[in-house]
Amino acid sequence: MKRRIDLNEKDIPKQWYNIQADMPNPIPPPLNPATGQPITPDMLTPIFTMNIIEQEVSTERWIDIPEEVIEKYLIWRPTPLYRAHFLEKFLGTPARIYFKNEGVSPPGSHKPNTAIAQAYFNKVSGIKRLATETGAGQWGSALSFACNQFGIECKVYMVRISYNQKPYRRVLMETWGAKCVPSPSPDTNAGRKFFEQNPEHPGSLGIAISEAVEDGATSKDSKYSIGSVVNHVLLHQTVVGLEAYKQLDMIGEYPDILIGCAGGGSNFAGLFLPFARDKIHGKEMKIIACEPASCPTMTKGPYVYDFGDTAETTPLFAMHSLGHKFVPAPIHAGGLRYHGMSPILSRLLMDNLIEARAYGQLETFKAGITFARTEGFVPAPETNHAIACVIEEAKKSKEEGKEKVILMNWSGHGIIDLAAYDAYLSGKLEDYVLPDDEIQELIKDLGKFPKP
Amino acid sequence: MTDKEDSRTIYCNQLGMLIEFSYCSTMNGGLPCRNIVGCWKQRTDIVAFLKKNFTGEELRKVFSGLPKSRIERIIELIKS
Repeated sequence: MKRRIDLNEKDIPKQWYNIQADMPNPIPPPLNPATGQPITPDMLTPIFTMNIIEQEVSTERWIDIPEEVIEKYLIWRPTPLYRAHFLEKFLGTPARIYFKNEGVSPPGSHKPNTAIAQAYFNKVSGIKRLATETGAGQWGSALSFACNQFGIECKVYMVRISYNQKPYRRVLMETWGAKCVPSPSPDTNAGRKFFEQNPEHPGSLGIAISEAVEDGATSKDSKYSIGSVVNHVLLHQTVVGLEAYKQLDMIGEYPDILIGCAGGGSNFAGLFLPFARDKIHGKEMKIIACEPASCPTMTKGPYVYDFGDTAETTPLFAMHSLGHKFVPAPIHAGGLRYHGMSPILSRLLMDNLIEARAYGQLETFKAGITFARTEGFVPAPETNHAIACVIEEAKKSKEEGKEKVILMNWSGHGIIDLAAYDAYLSGKLEDYVLPDDEIQELIKDLGKFPKP
Repeated sequence: MTDKEDSRTIYCNQLGMLIEFSYCSTMNGGLPCRNIVGCWKQRTDIVAFLKKNFTGEELRKVFSGLPKSRIERIIELIKS
């Protein structure tokens, strides 16, 4: 029985796989709310280079990975595929569980798969500097690493509360030569108005995005870089699934179930998209996206063209949401969602090629602890959502007495997130179950107020 | 909410870090994060907290409509 399945360097994928060539139904393009017409690629030129925009809209099935990108990928790729024997034994399951360890990259997650590609394509387009935002620093550290590899500058707007309270990823960014500033900052128009009101403003991801986009669009020789959601990011991440496909093939396995955690969707998509091609052509498999129960983008809500606000002024995008016109009261399930899932995943979900499940916070940390105490590796908190699902499916396999093959993307390690584990282990994340009728009562009260 | 409750912590899936309740309840220009109910409803009586500390208009401002997606926000920023 093989514990670890490795690819040789020469077997690293030479092309990314573009699911848009095989999707049964294409992704509806983003629409301009004023005209109802698709937003054209040239509208993106202030923030992305043309080679990246071409990938964003491409329907070519295979897109070559430049030699220079492969050379950098080889710093940590191909990543190992592990058989989770100890977890299987602990669960007493007949299922065979495999996990693709993306935590071995220098920043510790799958994020540099696209960061390296984006840094390269910007570099060859003459761009000398990239701007981005980051929450706790996972994406910011990946882009800092990538920019350093290609000798371009990197400016990261890090949400101030993270900047102050979670210094290790900031130190990582600075170690790789990036300039990391707390957001809101005085460096942009978007940040200045908040900064001048309160220099200690804790910030938010929304403000940080505004600062980074403004910087990328208006600074000399600069562009903006994004770490999830959009098509070209998902494309770059397919290197994960393409490797896993080969690794399983080496040992004569094929997954019955593919599992990944989905925030914006890029790590999950990176794993399953190459397999989804087989599913589109008739192969049977279950593909499960796992999301936080507190913000269930995919497990609730229909697929609609929707405005981002009630004033109907923002562009229309086909995303999962309840649609603002269906929101009868301010606090409604639809209003609690991030509304931020990748359009590709949204479309595949509607076409029943993937399914989604939501997991509560305590359940996911419990799963992460189980994984760490069996397989040894400490997962990132996001990865724990996938592990919770793996455990659920492995137990089901046991109940049914079926030898299912389960493949999971282990998207990153949690060594820089130990404070979250500490909170869980010391009981600070205890639950208090609030009856839903109390929330309904609040909805009723708020419904009395006029709509803005 | 007492000071003790204000310092209760939760793992924020959006930021990717542990944060205190005080951030969730004030990060939006003094108003709560629009995800506060979903994230905290199993941890504390968040509805009572909202009713006690914010007016209906403030809550409507926070929770009405849908949050903008990353792509929506970016396109909007480019156009502005």
